[in-house]
Amino acid sequence: MRWLALPVLAALAAAPAILPDFLLTSLTEVLILGLFAMSLDLLVGYTGLDSFGHAAVYGLGAYTASLLLLGAGVSLPVALLAAALFTAMVAVPVGWLCTRTTGVSFAMLTLAFAQLLYAVAYKWQSVTGGSDGLAGVPRTPGPLGISWFTSRAGYYHLVAGCLVGSFLLCRAFVASPLGTTLLAIRDNERKASALGYNPRAYKIAAFVTAAFFGGLAGALYAPFAGFASPDLFFWILSGQVLVMVIIGGAGSLLGPIAGAAAFLLLEQHLSGFTDSWALVLGLIFIVFVLFVPEGLWGLVRRRPFARAALPRDIGGERAAP
Amino acid sequence: MSRHFGALAAVADVSMTVEAGEIRAVIGPNGAGKSTLFNVIAGALRPTTGTVIFKREALTGLPPHAICARGLSRTFQLTALFPRLTVLENVRLAAQARAPGRWRFLGGRAMRAATSREAERWLERLRLGDMVGARAGLLSHGDQRLLEIAMALAQRPELLLLDEPTQGLSVEETGRTVTLLRELLSDGRLTVLLVEHDMEVVFSLAHRITVLHQGRVIADGAPGEVKRDPAVQSAYLGGLE
Repeated sequence: MRWLALPVLAALAAAPAILPDFLLTSLTEVLILGLFAMSLDLLVGYTGLDSFGHAAVYGLGAYTASLLLLGAGVSLPVALLAAALFTAMVAVPVGWLCTRTTGVSFAMLTLAFAQLLYAVAYKWQSVTGGSDGLAGVPRTPGPLGISWFTSRAGYYHLVAGCLVGSFLLCRAFVASPLGTTLLAIRDNERKASALGYNPRAYKIAAFVTAAFFGGLAGALYAPFAGFASPDLFFWILSGQVLVMVIIGGAGSLLGPIAGAAAFLLLEQHLSGFTDSWALVLGLIFIVFVLFVPEGLWGLVRRRPFARAALPRDIGGERAAP
Repeated sequence: MSRHFGALAAVADVSMTVEAGEIRAVIGPNGAGKSTLFNVIAGALRPTTGTVIFKREALTGLPPHAICARGLSRTFQLTALFPRLTVLENVRLAAQARAPGRWRFLGGRAMRAATSREAERWLERLRLGDMVGARAGLLSHGDQRLLEIAMALAQRPELLLLDEPTQGLSVEETGRTVTLLRELLSDGRLTVLLVEHDMEVVFSLAHRITVLHQGRVIADGAPGEVKRDPAVQSAYLGGLE
């Protein structure tokens, strides 16, 4: 798959020159949500933590960036970085609490935290703007007078750059000593503990890392859309991003980006056809869970007949690294 | 120490000392409390009364990962592996668990290479060298048991706790495992506590045997003495009350 990297990067770089404006906007949104889904994959695919409240970090990133851009007058790159760092910092105590539990309780706790933040965004009128949210979030130029990202194409390039950079960082993260330990905890937590790893500490590390990249995605969204609203914290978004990860293929980093693209594509096309587009999307999701558990990425990677050979070919089967 | 489950005293007033370099087996009929004793020593269960002391330090109440960091490694009675990871990665993670760079979250390539080489050495010693790339979950049961021993050894423990290493193995596989274990333990650098059902395995490996029956020690000594002990014989024949 490695040979595809260069053409894909070239296509990403050239997109503004080729695509009409409305498609470029759609593509920007796909990349932002792709980053968001990729960050959730660190939890779902690599650590075995099924978070049902990942919208919390998206909303937190979006609101933090919006408040910094609207109120503090900082430049966009500084606001993005600060929002991602702030989200990661908030994730430390939240992760500490949520990882006391596992399985369904963990999912419910994360959901509860996201809904709590939703309620805060809704009620704290003076700071968050309540149900109206924060409008007119600017793409403030700077530092050092940099302003290329204020245009539609420039902002697209900024998002694409953030996604590629985050992907490279996440890839290094999952291959690192800490990252490989996460896979062990996902596979057998008791054994990882018996080997001398403290599962809880590693889970918190994964939680905080996922929050950093998820927060960055949210921070990119607010100046892209020009506003932040309480919906960014809502459980529907948590569910949607989980669908993106599973359709795309959990545990692959790139799969969830494809999942985000597929999700938005389906949503846009189906909603033109029928009002019950969510029903069709749900059916597609069920099909994936039942028949394509390894997701779109697994379909792309799977060589024909490789699967049939698996049970007999015990000694020779090379597992994915 | 003792361990009760409700009214049942699974382990009652058991006191034992394992010397450094010794291979000690704990045997006893079903329900004798072997597994409970083992799990208390490994930190998976808390004793109801008493303590477990390792190198003059009380281990009681420490979580499993902290006990492991003090130089104890264990295997599980029901094989516990990372089934979706490769054989090599399973052992590599065991070797990595005590390496100083295990917390690195970026890079760490040199550390991975070093731990991989170490893992390969252990897999060679357990004759699993040609399976390094296979998924651990796809190995035969016998190879999985050996892989678990490789993982325990790759942690370079001072005390190795083996929970029925030949459980569920065929006669041939049992013979192979015993031969390998004798070979690996022959240098006497490792202290071993072994819980085992198979008497042949016990008598061909252990220096000293402790016999449990209904949660109590009924005999303790060299294999020859234990074999001749009338209390042991009647316990295994079901006569002792």
